[in-house]
Amino acid sequence: MSGNFPPSSRNFPPPLAGEGEGGGEGYYDNPVVRRPVWTWEVPAYFWLGGMAAGAYVTASLAQNFGSADDRRIAAGGYYVAAAALAPCAPLLIADLGRPERFHHMLRIFKPLSPMNLGAWTLTGFTPIAVARAASHAASTGLIRGPLGALARLVPTRLAELAGCALGLTLAGYSGVLLGATNIPLWAKSKLLGGLFMASALASGSAAVTLQAARRGAPDATLHRLALVESAASVGEIAMLTGYLAQSGKTARPLTTGRFSAAFWLGAVGAGTLLPLLLHRLAGRRQGRALQSLSTVAAVCTIAGSLALRWSIFEAGKDSSEDQSASFELSRG
Amino acid sequence: MIEGYKRLMNLEEPPPAKKAKGFFTDTSLCIGCKACEVACKQWNQLPADGFAITGNSYDNTGHLGATTWRHVQFIEQAKANGSRQEQRWLMMSDVCKHCANAACLEACPTGALIRTEFDTVYVQQDICNGCGFCVPACPFGVIDRAPKHGQFEVATAHKCTLCYDRLKDDMTPACAKSCPTASIQFGDVEELQQRARRRLGELKARGETKAELYGMPEGKEATEVGPLHAFFLLLDRPQTYNLPEVPRLPRKTMAQRYGWSAAVGLGFALVGALVFGGRR
Repeated sequence: MSGNFPPSSRNFPPPLAGEGEGGGEGYYDNPVVRRPVWTWEVPAYFWLGGMAAGAYVTASLAQNFGSADDRRIAAGGYYVAAAALAPCAPLLIADLGRPERFHHMLRIFKPLSPMNLGAWTLTGFTPIAVARAASHAASTGLIRGPLGALARLVPTRLAELAGCALGLTLAGYSGVLLGATNIPLWAKSKLLGGLFMASALASGSAAVTLQAARRGAPDATLHRLALVESAASVGEIAMLTGYLAQSGKTARPLTTGRFSAAFWLGAVGAGTLLPLLLHRLAGRRQGRALQSLSTVAAVCTIAGSLALRWSIFEAGKDSSEDQSASFELSRG
Repeated sequence: MIEGYKRLMNLEEPPPAKKAKGFFTDTSLCIGCKACEVACKQWNQLPADGFAITGNSYDNTGHLGATTWRHVQFIEQAKANGSRQEQRWLMMSDVCKHCANAACLEACPTGALIRTEFDTVYVQQDICNGCGFCVPACPFGVIDRAPKHGQFEVATAHKCTLCYDRLKDDMTPACAKSCPTASIQFGDVEELQQRARRRLGELKARGETKAELYGMPEGKEATEVGPLHAFFLLLDRPQTYNLPEVPRLPRKTMAQRYGWSAAVGLGFALVGALVFGGRR
């Protein structure tokens, strides 16, 4: 359907189908699968939802295992989580063909469909994250009066436990959703879910670090947050290496295509390697130097997380037109 | 109380199951007349796809899509110095396979995609919210979402319905009805499968050594998506017709994918607990 009349020189004289010459074994150069119809809202939602989940989990870990300073500082992560979640549902709805029917997602419970599971998880996680943030706001005196009294009723331990479970599901299902298709770049490796999970936790803990550094957190807390963030980045590098190795030639639309700069410089360089280096540099520093280095590292991690989702998402669309990769994926 | 709930929600009893219906598309009989494409467009009131010349033989349809539910392929197999027997012109009318384990149906988050009483796969247009997940899920590239602006039911998923409305009235689907050479045969899937095996035997006996059936229960292409209720007799390898050798069902690897995801998440939680808890 690409050509018009008169035939373009690319198609004339017409190639022969089914000849097995010139590398193509299929029907002309037609794609085997359809190009995904999703637009920018989807990677933006994956990025924000993942960051919210990562921030919530990091804040809850500090809340339950950390020192008094850790607890006080990391609780700001609940604000980050609530704020990052706010645009998620609107983005998800905007991407639908018929946004006015968004509630049809919730007319059945069908965890077999990652899309359905994600809709339910977001529906459950959003109010919990908002309630936990409100509870923290009430405890610091930010919300007063009857609303504050209401927010103080939130069972914090329960909200942390349930929120972590739902948050990890939210951070973990997005890569599985893309993987549960027949798009070669998304489906060939089984590690995309793990990769997006690691990236979500790295960006979420980075968001906690960012607000901690801005609020002048004690050095010990910043060092611990840097350690947690670096652990997620190391996990991300491990998942990424496995993902690229398993994908092999299938990964070409990502590693050499028009999204390769966003992927190598943005997702890999700025998103994982640079923050690891900066945190290492910050390891012995204190005070302002530590806060500055932590801030730069956190911003890089967060931006890299967006670059990762966006480049893999967009390169996946190009991958859908890769006929030989589709045959490779479905080889018996 | 359940009865009251059903009345309140306007829940109907599903119609009783009937015998599985399907297509047997015998490509050895196809003459490339495209009557099936036209009949499908007319009966289902699908808009035209525009005037475009692909340059690929007589195929100016391109591929199946939201408003194209039958697609005739033209495969010219001509060798520069080949003998006359080696010159072949293969034609094939492609269609939704109505898989026994349909990837689109499993992906659908709203329940818009259902299995009908005829064991076919059908999109309920009043339920679909156009999330688009079925589009990349289909291993055959069949189902697609209509554009957000257009003449057709906008922005919902569409594909062959096996003429569900005609089946309800005991009628043959439009494409099979219009096929002048019986290349498209409609009927009970079990009976069609027997007919296909007989036909393959005949063709093999006549020296069509490359002929094979695609979508039978015993075929390796059925290992994940199950038998295809619209299956084919092909005169060359499936890839020649852009058909995957073993179409994948995404569900099969989902547990493993969630497993890696969970491992990373729990690993992080453990590291976080140790870092925050292990302070001096």
